[in-house]
Amino acid sequence: MTDLLRGIVGMADWRVWAMFGVGLALIWLAVKKEYEPNLLLPMGFGCLLANIPFSSAVGGGFLDVLFKGGITNELFPILIFIGVGAMIDFGPLLQDPEMLFFGAAAQFGIFFTMMLALLVGRIPGVTGIPGLREAAAIGIIGAADGPTAIYVATRFAPALLAPITVAAYSYMSLVPIIQPPIIRALTTREERMIHMENPEHEVSRTVKVIFPIAVTLIAGIIAPMSVALIGSLMFGNLLRESGVTERLSKTAQNELSSLVTILLGITIGSSMGGKQFLNPTTLLIIAMGLIAFVFDTAGGVLFAKLINLFRKRKINPMIGACGISAFPMSARVIQKMAQQEDGSNFIIMHAVGANVAGQIASIIAGGLILALVR
Amino acid sequence: MDTVVAEGLRISGVSYVLIFAVLGIFYGLIKLLLRILPRKDDST
Repeated sequence: MTDLLRGIVGMADWRVWAMFGVGLALIWLAVKKEYEPNLLLPMGFGCLLANIPFSSAVGGGFLDVLFKGGITNELFPILIFIGVGAMIDFGPLLQDPEMLFFGAAAQFGIFFTMMLALLVGRIPGVTGIPGLREAAAIGIIGAADGPTAIYVATRFAPALLAPITVAAYSYMSLVPIIQPPIIRALTTREERMIHMENPEHEVSRTVKVIFPIAVTLIAGIIAPMSVALIGSLMFGNLLRESGVTERLSKTAQNELSSLVTILLGITIGSSMGGKQFLNPTTLLIIAMGLIAFVFDTAGGVLFAKLINLFRKRKINPMIGACGISAFPMSARVIQKMAQQEDGSNFIIMHAVGANVAGQIASIIAGGLILALVR
Repeated sequence: MDTVVAEGLRISGVSYVLIFAVLGIFYGLIKLLLRILPRKDDST
């Protein structure tokens, strides 16, 4: 009888109700708004499971087992990357490798936000961001790449993992709302109407097979800390491009991705306990995550404008915004914007090229931060 | 300047430059592959 009553008594804690609200809000965003539903729905439900007073799902329950077996040891984000790699076609990037530099430029938000978090953490009274490791974990939201954010946050700031993950995935789903006003503010209509010729040459399968192997070796030698991330992404891509492992490639794209996404989502949700989640640091992280996405976009666009000062054939500066890793959302947003200005303007190939470059760049950024921050 | 902030600034700057450098290497790699390997053999 006591066991039955203690659950009801536990409901007297306001944080339980608040976290039920957060969990239900995530489920609502997934179901009603279709914002990253594959992740936000399991996260929302995981949040509910973790916050039911005296829940058997946590405190040694199956969600704790999953957390230790998939998040603490960084297994889930790595497995997700194998699936992501199998889904990505690097063809548009290989046809137009200049797009790589937009991927680099659009990582600016990571470092801007890292510095901002570091400065905010020095303000007397702010306790949740004591040092560089926590600031770096918050900055990595700007990678616009969920698995990288989880990977870095797990290593540097496990206590901040839940709000960092929520911010990363929420803003990725909000790219169609976040990017257009920033791009419009930084570009003229004439710039947005610039047409870009599609590259005519084709890319052989040999190049597509060599690329993931070479990138893994080069990135791994330069930044060994990035091997797990870049290696799993490129392994998935090699399964896709080799042409001889179609069954494995399809499994990575579908079954593996779906299974790990379910487990990752519900496990991250289970880390959203009221005591850890409901504090001013969470609000700061949510706010700084938005800043990271804003400065990523601005970094990419302004870099494209800078490049245009020296080029005869101009680049549509909106392409720079695709350098953030939110794939393929950002490329779609930019193509839509280009067509709104000029219905005959098709820059989708360049946009996808910059977008997949952002995927690579965000992993390199994560690896460098892991290597340099002590 | 606070030493931690200075360290953060140094790491941010170095990392941002290194990302360009690493992707620059990839750029060179792709250009090289496209130059030395046939483009049509079993193109996709």
